[in-house]
Amino acid sequence: MGPVELLHMSVFSQSFSPCGRFLAAGNNYGEIAVFSLSAALSPDATALSQKPVLTFTAHEGPVFSLLSTDCHLLSAGNGEISCWSWSDLTKKNVKPLWTKRPNFKSSLEIPEINAMVLNTRDNSLVVGGGDNNIHILDLEHGIFKAVLQGHTDYDGAVRMWDSRTGQSVHCVEIYKYESCARPQYGKWISCLTTDSDWMLCGGGPSLSLWHLRSLSPTSIFPLTGCQRQTSFYQDMILAVGEGPSVAHCLLGGEVKAQIPCTPQSLNTLQLNTNSAEHRMLTVGGSSNHIDVFTNLSYRAFSLSF
Amino acid sequence: MGAVTDDEVIRKRLLIDGDGAGDDRRINVLLKSFTKWCNSPGTPEEGFTQYQRVMATLGQCEFSMGKTLMVYDMNLREMENYEKIYTNIEQNITSAHEKIAECKKEIQRAKRVRKNRQEYDALAKVIQQHPDRHETLKQLEALDKELQQLSQIKENVDAKLELRKKQFHVLLSTIQELQQTLENDEKSDNDDNNQESPAQTGE
Repeated sequence: MGPVELLHMSVFSQSFSPCGRFLAAGNNYGEIAVFSLSAALSPDATALSQKPVLTFTAHEGPVFSLLSTDCHLLSAGNGEISCWSWSDLTKKNVKPLWTKRPNFKSSLEIPEINAMVLNTRDNSLVVGGGDNNIHILDLEHGIFKAVLQGHTDYDGAVRMWDSRTGQSVHCVEIYKYESCARPQYGKWISCLTTDSDWMLCGGGPSLSLWHLRSLSPTSIFPLTGCQRQTSFYQDMILAVGEGPSVAHCLLGGEVKAQIPCTPQSLNTLQLNTNSAEHRMLTVGGSSNHIDVFTNLSYRAFSLSF
Repeated sequence: MGAVTDDEVIRKRLLIDGDGAGDDRRINVLLKSFTKWCNSPGTPEEGFTQYQRVMATLGQCEFSMGKTLMVYDMNLREMENYEKIYTNIEQNITSAHEKIAECKKEIQRAKRVRKNRQEYDALAKVIQQHPDRHETLKQLEALDKELQQLSQIKENVDAKLELRKKQFHVLLSTIQELQQTLENDEKSDNDDNNQESPAQTGE
């Protein structure tokens, strides 16, 4: 990996292992790097312990989404989903357990897979693809059992689907609400997260907190730039996006703090909740460095690809 | 290893001024002067002075021994004191640890409460934007009353219309009957006239 490639590298996705001791990160070259957190956090860590313990090429296209189940790592890139075993990866064995491709209708170009979410209730994987459809993969039988269609290209709508009937029960177009809309950025939504009755979404429109029962916006966050990933954490909201900082916001709509980071713009934010002694927040973006925050108020150190 | 520590010990003993070396010397001097006094062939005055010297040296030795014993006692008591302080500090450390854990749990609870409060505030903001329930009810009542009044008026107008319709109907049917009767009368008059004239020309 020459210096020019390192300069152009962007980290798109991250996922912590189920034991909480490893971090997997995917970049735009299709590589996945596994970092050992116990080595990086130990008191006698050197510059070498901030490098990955394992780097391998997982896909031909960028790895936009990584997801960990209780013993597997699922990665999505170039229109296919691969499954790796965490115990194999810690032993540096890089053979995938399986690779599947959802049935995309068009054969001309392969749509990318942008997001994956695990539905633990019926053991299925919900995959969002660039063909504007949501594909549901049954993990037990390994077949794609449903497709949820309804989105048009970048239509700026947030849809809520009933998984039993496969129909869209609600459709909220964020950009139509005056308080959230930012026409200069567009109407597309790039980040979405939910927490029981509340939903955070943003992108073109400003980041806003919605109450799902009444489907009404309750707070708008005055952050410049488009937010690419947000998360609820204890009583705060963490948001990353364009701009070299992690924003800490309160539910009322005020921005409490903006913590500076190394990458110029951030794509992904992950919190390690699987391990008590390696609790940390990691952010990655348009740089080959992944910033690690052990205390949310300042950057502790950086892992690098 | 043993040789080193012996050297250390010897060096320390040589370095320590005063009582240690002095005591040993004094005891040797005492023994020598005692034996000399016992074996001295000299005059009784010399013997007496030598005896006094021996007694003085003995007194000094006893004094220094008493002092060392007291120092030893003091050291033992100091050790006990330090032991007590040590256990006390250990207890304090464990209780501080427990308090820290307790406070951490407290913080988690407080954060949850704060999050809930913020959620309530956010919802309250949304609710405030909607109009008051009393006002809406009042508006509804007023509208209901208006609706009732208007339907009452409509009923009245309808009833009046029905009545007029019936009255006109009666009037028209009477007129028609009258017309019919008049026509009938005319017809029967014509018939009578026609019947009479052929009867007249027939004669």
